[in-house]
Amino acid sequence: MDFSIDEQMVVCISRQVEDGEILAQGIATPLVMAGYILAVATHAPNAVFASAIGQGLCYGWGPLGVATIENIALGNAVLTMGFVTIAVDVLPIIRPKEFFRPAQIDAAGNFNNIAIGKDYQKPRLRLPGTGGIPDVSIKSNDTCFYVPRHSRVTFVEKVDFLSGMGYHPARTRGSGPIYLVTDLGQFDWHEGQMRLTSYHRGVTVEHIQKKTGFELLIADDVHETQPPAAAELRLLREEIDPLGVRTLETLSGSARRDLLRDILRREAAAYKSVSSSRRG
Amino acid sequence: MTVLSMQEAAQLVQSGMTVGLGGMTLYRRPVAFIRELLRRPDRPTNLTLLNFTSSYETDLLVGAGMVGTSRTCYFGMEAFGLAPMFTEAGNRGEITIIEETEMSIALGLRATMSGVGFLPAFAWLGTDMLKLRPDIKTIEDPYSGETLVAFPALKCDAAVIHGLRADRRGNVLLNQHFAIDRELVLVADTVIVTVEDIVDDIGPHVHIPGVVVDVVVHAPQGAYPTSCYPLYPISGEEILDYVDTCQAGDFEKYVARMLSDEWYSAARVE
Repeated sequence: MDFSIDEQMVVCISRQVEDGEILAQGIATPLVMAGYILAVATHAPNAVFASAIGQGLCYGWGPLGVATIENIALGNAVLTMGFVTIAVDVLPIIRPKEFFRPAQIDAAGNFNNIAIGKDYQKPRLRLPGTGGIPDVSIKSNDTCFYVPRHSRVTFVEKVDFLSGMGYHPARTRGSGPIYLVTDLGQFDWHEGQMRLTSYHRGVTVEHIQKKTGFELLIADDVHETQPPAAAELRLLREEIDPLGVRTLETLSGSARRDLLRDILRREAAAYKSVSSSRRG
Repeated sequence: MTVLSMQEAAQLVQSGMTVGLGGMTLYRRPVAFIRELLRRPDRPTNLTLLNFTSSYETDLLVGAGMVGTSRTCYFGMEAFGLAPMFTEAGNRGEITIIEETEMSIALGLRATMSGVGFLPAFAWLGTDMLKLRPDIKTIEDPYSGETLVAFPALKCDAAVIHGLRADRRGNVLLNQHFAIDRELVLVADTVIVTVEDIVDDIGPHVHIPGVVVDVVVHAPQGAYPTSCYPLYPISGEEILDYVDTCQAGDFEKYVARMLSDEWYSAARVE
């Protein structure tokens, strides 16, 4: 069965989830959300979502959306706390699994979501900011990453600003990142260095090295990534993400804009038909 | 508590103030209030925006040159990409950006609520955050000797929150997506709440108590084009149009359309 790269990444994320885990769902990360939901719908039915939307805990899921994105978290929430309580009191105790999307990352897993460029006052590109990354990464034992477009823009010798901590000499708590999936392959960290463990179908090790701005370690047993199963693809396409929201993360420019417009149109049609059937 | 018109309420924001806007990214933002600030002939300037996250609502103020300083942990448009006017101003160094994180905002609010100048946490240490925030000091844990960060107290002159419903006592019902609204109203000198609906008595399940609310404004569809769950979703077409228009260099054209009566009525039909 043919599959696209976003589907391969979703399945990789899903396979990282263990049953019963608490899964932190960040802002605007539909690939991760699709992966989590796929895990719950297959091998991890007892996983719990800790959602940035609603700042609470929820069970259950529905199809991914853009305009109606709150429906999954707020419609299924069993507890909502607000950001102050969840950030200070709850997340540090329950320590959910979380996937971050770095704008830059180095071999040691240090990462940057502040700005690209050397001059902080006038950067080449100001980024949205760090969320809670400088708060949690410095004590994490199990940070996970995903990068939908693997390139030397993201994989750099040295990050311009360090907002997330990897295997770093200044670290006094926790250890560092353990997992990364990109559109080219999967990685872990060996003695504090990023290491390629599998390459996706049709991708060579040489190509991945070429797209990476530092020397990669290659695992002895490096192999092709296990492709999505037919049942996983069916769930993903028909039930979890029929609108294709996950694909937005792998596109840029006008292709991304066109898809976003198309998703909004189809989502609005679906929303209207649900609203009118409720009224009727 | 006083019920004011949107026009009267918008006069309460003066140049140089620190303003906290409720909701989060594209959810339950006080957009009708922002629109009224933009409509003022004497638009306030040099504002500091203290938001948990900033998006469309604050990007409009940045584009209009009304923001001197942005304090937030995320300024962006979620699925709709980067916030266009903030990104442009940030790249050119035309706006002061004070990097915040979830912890610095949460503990800063709690410090004010507790009546102390700071609260400590194990956060930021070893990252570049302390270099980018030279105003923030570390402190030694008097028990273990460990170094911690002393996050300073945060407060604002005005908080503006959009809620679902208020009653005659100023009690407010939000939805279950609180963000930092319940704390912002406790650290603000003036609390302005815009609501979809005003009723006599909203009953026992109140999210913001009337005792801290100064002004209530009736503002149906007041969060449009951001969402007001469960009443209406994000208007994706409108947000996308904003981003596209700004990226084409036509921010002023967008604002002119947004301030028109047609825009106002269209928002209410959708």
